[in-house]
Amino acid sequence: MTPEDTVSVSGDIPKNADISGIDVCSHPKRFISRIRIEDRAKLILMAAVVFTVAVLFFIIIFISYNSLDAVKEIGIWEFLTGGTWSPGSGAYGASSLIVGTFLVTGGSILFALPVGLGMAIYINDVASPRVRNILKPACELFAGIPSVVYGFIGLAVMVPFLMDVFPAHLNYGTSWLAGSLLLGIMALPIIISVSQDSLEAVPGSYREASMALGATKWETTRKVVLRSAVSGIAAAVILGIGRALGETMAVMMVTGNSALIPEPLWNIFDMVRTLTASIALEMPEAVHGSLHFSALFMLALILMVIVLLVNTVARRMVRRTKIKMGTEKAADVRRRRLFAPLSESHKEMAKTAAVYALVFAPAFMISSLFIGTYGGIAIGALAAAGLPVSKRISRAIGPNRVQSTVYLMLGITVAAVLAVLAVFLGVIAVNGLPAISPEFIFSPPSNSGLSGGIWPAVIGTIELAAGTALISFPLGVCSGIYLSQYAGDTRLIRLARQAIDSLNGTPSIIFGLFGMSLLVIAFGWGYSLVGGCITLSLMVLPTIIKTTEEAVSAVPKDLTEASAAMGASKWHTVSKVLLPASMGGVITGFILSIGRAIGETAPIMFTAAVAFRTTSSFSLLDPIMALPYHLYYLASEVPGSTANQYGTALVLMMIVIVLFAAASVIRYRYRKKTGW
Amino acid sequence: MNIIETNDLSLWYGNKQTLFDINMPIKKNSITSIIGPSGCGKSTLIRVFNRMNDLIDGTKISGTVLYDGNNICRPDTDVLALRKRVGMIFQKANPFPMTVRDNITYGPKLHGVKDQKELDEIVESSLRRAALFEEVKDRLNASALSLSGGQQQRLCIARALSIEPEVILMDEPTSALDPIATAKIEELALELKENYTVVTVTHNMQQAGRISDYTGFMYLGRLEEFGKTRDIFESPKSELTERYVSGRFG
Repeated sequence: MTPEDTVSVSGDIPKNADISGIDVCSHPKRFISRIRIEDRAKLILMAAVVFTVAVLFFIIIFISYNSLDAVKEIGIWEFLTGGTWSPGSGAYGASSLIVGTFLVTGGSILFALPVGLGMAIYINDVASPRVRNILKPACELFAGIPSVVYGFIGLAVMVPFLMDVFPAHLNYGTSWLAGSLLLGIMALPIIISVSQDSLEAVPGSYREASMALGATKWETTRKVVLRSAVSGIAAAVILGIGRALGETMAVMMVTGNSALIPEPLWNIFDMVRTLTASIALEMPEAVHGSLHFSALFMLALILMVIVLLVNTVARRMVRRTKIKMGTEKAADVRRRRLFAPLSESHKEMAKTAAVYALVFAPAFMISSLFIGTYGGIAIGALAAAGLPVSKRISRAIGPNRVQSTVYLMLGITVAAVLAVLAVFLGVIAVNGLPAISPEFIFSPPSNSGLSGGIWPAVIGTIELAAGTALISFPLGVCSGIYLSQYAGDTRLIRLARQAIDSLNGTPSIIFGLFGMSLLVIAFGWGYSLVGGCITLSLMVLPTIIKTTEEAVSAVPKDLTEASAAMGASKWHTVSKVLLPASMGGVITGFILSIGRAIGETAPIMFTAAVAFRTTSSFSLLDPIMALPYHLYYLASEVPGSTANQYGTALVLMMIVIVLFAAASVIRYRYRKKTGW
Repeated sequence: MNIIETNDLSLWYGNKQTLFDINMPIKKNSITSIIGPSGCGKSTLIRVFNRMNDLIDGTKISGTVLYDGNNICRPDTDVLALRKRVGMIFQKANPFPMTVRDNITYGPKLHGVKDQKELDEIVESSLRRAALFEEVKDRLNASALSLSGGQQQRLCIARALSIEPEVILMDEPTSALDPIATAKIEELALELKENYTVVTVTHNMQQAGRISDYTGFMYLGRLEEFGKTRDIFESPKSELTERYVSGRFG
């Protein structure tokens, strides 16, 4: 039964409904007004969904429209394949930017997948409940650190560190390697949480069956659990890729931004430039209406298409894992046909060959950068030769000791990642605390940010948060309620859900471009507080919708039925029973979203934020200062402002951490109270 | 000859004691049924025999369980080797989401069989002994999840047989099956006792009466009565047993 079946008595009351059993007050006038409230409520909720879906279409239309000039003048094919990106001399070939985007993303996943999956296995297999209760919030905190803070820390800590490690290969430190490492760290939380969810979802009976055959826990995980969870893990990776592709600030700050394809292609020490970085760097100089301006929108369109494709694939995979495991899946049949001509022993051989190649390739690529092609081949071969050796060793020491070795290694990985997090937070705290004082917080910046404080930026950030909350909360919660309680499984609703999911995956800089082209230029508002609020609201809307929908849907159906059985109308049930019962989840999701909005830079850098603003008058149409943009500005434009950079970063982090803590407390309280 | 023998076996989950001083012999090449109402500790008891209770945190055991004369409750027991010798069939068929063949070869590969031909032979002989070969011989590369419920349960039996165990524990193996599939499993159990020792837990007293040589009746974590199946059903010594097997409670 769907929720619709059970509560339809009160859902679409109008014409043919049996009214005798519904109105307990048996007061005809009251009954009519109630129906009117029902209809109005439903209409309002639906309007919120329609609005959200319309946003996606408007984004696509605006981005496409603005890139028309570039399409006409340069041509799509030339734009995609051209090798030189030099707006100054009129050369718009985006291939190096596209390649750069994929290289940085690919590198980050190569690093984040093994580490993230290892951590997920550790959380699932090894960690005691207490350790798990530390690791999971730590992951959330990782995910909550604003991207500009990651970029700042990358620039301040990681880049100098890499230069110390590879003095002969890194001239400036900013490089593909730095970008991939940083992005990998940023992609870890989502990879860990999604793949851990899918590991957890593997039925315990599989585990039992395997252990009863005499397998160790690790053998069971490796041979049964990972195999069963493979599409969930793939989805985790693709979601991580989607996030990495759209990342702007952190990448821009550490990759060096040189629009050239690395030489050789796997030279991780070269500088690269991504699509997002090009947009963010060049938009301030591009004259509105020029070819350059249009070309940047074209980059955004390319980025949007790539991200949409990636996210669609990820959603398909997530859905596939959710389909019950009872029936044979079409994909299995297809796979089997593909491999049918191979005999069992050939299959084994192919598998072995693939494993060897997977070990050889990265070993060769990395070592050849240091000691040339032949040395690289030698090292690669050596690494590949290690495979049978390690197999023999593991046979010799027995499955139990293999298990403890593997789990020890996973534990070390977890500890290392936590140590990195601790270093990140510690560096900010240690360097930021001395900078913080009442004067720093409550006075405006002076001497172009070299001295003085951050008060206007604090105010601006608070204003942005408040405005974003005001706009996004009603819209998001209404849409979430509609999707959870009123929407059926029609084609139109499925389309709407897809649109909202796509909006969820859209890179933040795209929202920035949309806000700029619509609010700043078309509406003529210029940079304004309200423009920033609207842009940020659109960005967090899908998250609020999703968390609301999940929270409302998680309320046990008995409550709905109990309320309906008392003769309550649907809206009455929703507003008096479901919403109060799910408020914990709704508020938690909302606070986390605002936390994310506060730390965002890319959406406000073309819509609201300016480097300096001295007047203290308040107007919705005035530009503002904001902490994340201020940090970016100081870190990239004001050398020598180190103390103020750390101070700004620490204040920003503290606001975000306070919001996260509040969200955790609320979630914990409500979980204890309601028990679901 | 007793292949398994428990002496004053007691078991706790955390602070809750679920088994009390169980003394039970399991005869080689026989079928032993353990009956009793839900929650009486039947499943807990047979999970002692292959140490599957280890998977639950906070399990404590006192007393001894002798397997071939060795106390398997000792912490230095090689649990993996024990589980290789004592196979288990679960209440709900739980084939891996792999092909039929891969389900069978999983155990042998785990324990070091690599030769393709040998694996093929194991697949065929295990499926034959589980009376499943004729039904699936053309579908060895199909997903195990595409089989019917009864076939899946026999596949699980074949999977357990693939590593040549000595004892097969069955934890209510037919409770999720229809009568026809149940009959097939019962028939199979009777054949298996030629070469294996079978211990089965069941709700179904008729089933215990039909297939088992020995029956134990458990109540609230105690072994109320144990003996030849016919004695338990026809002339029980305990009044509790008598009331249970005659269907007056349970």
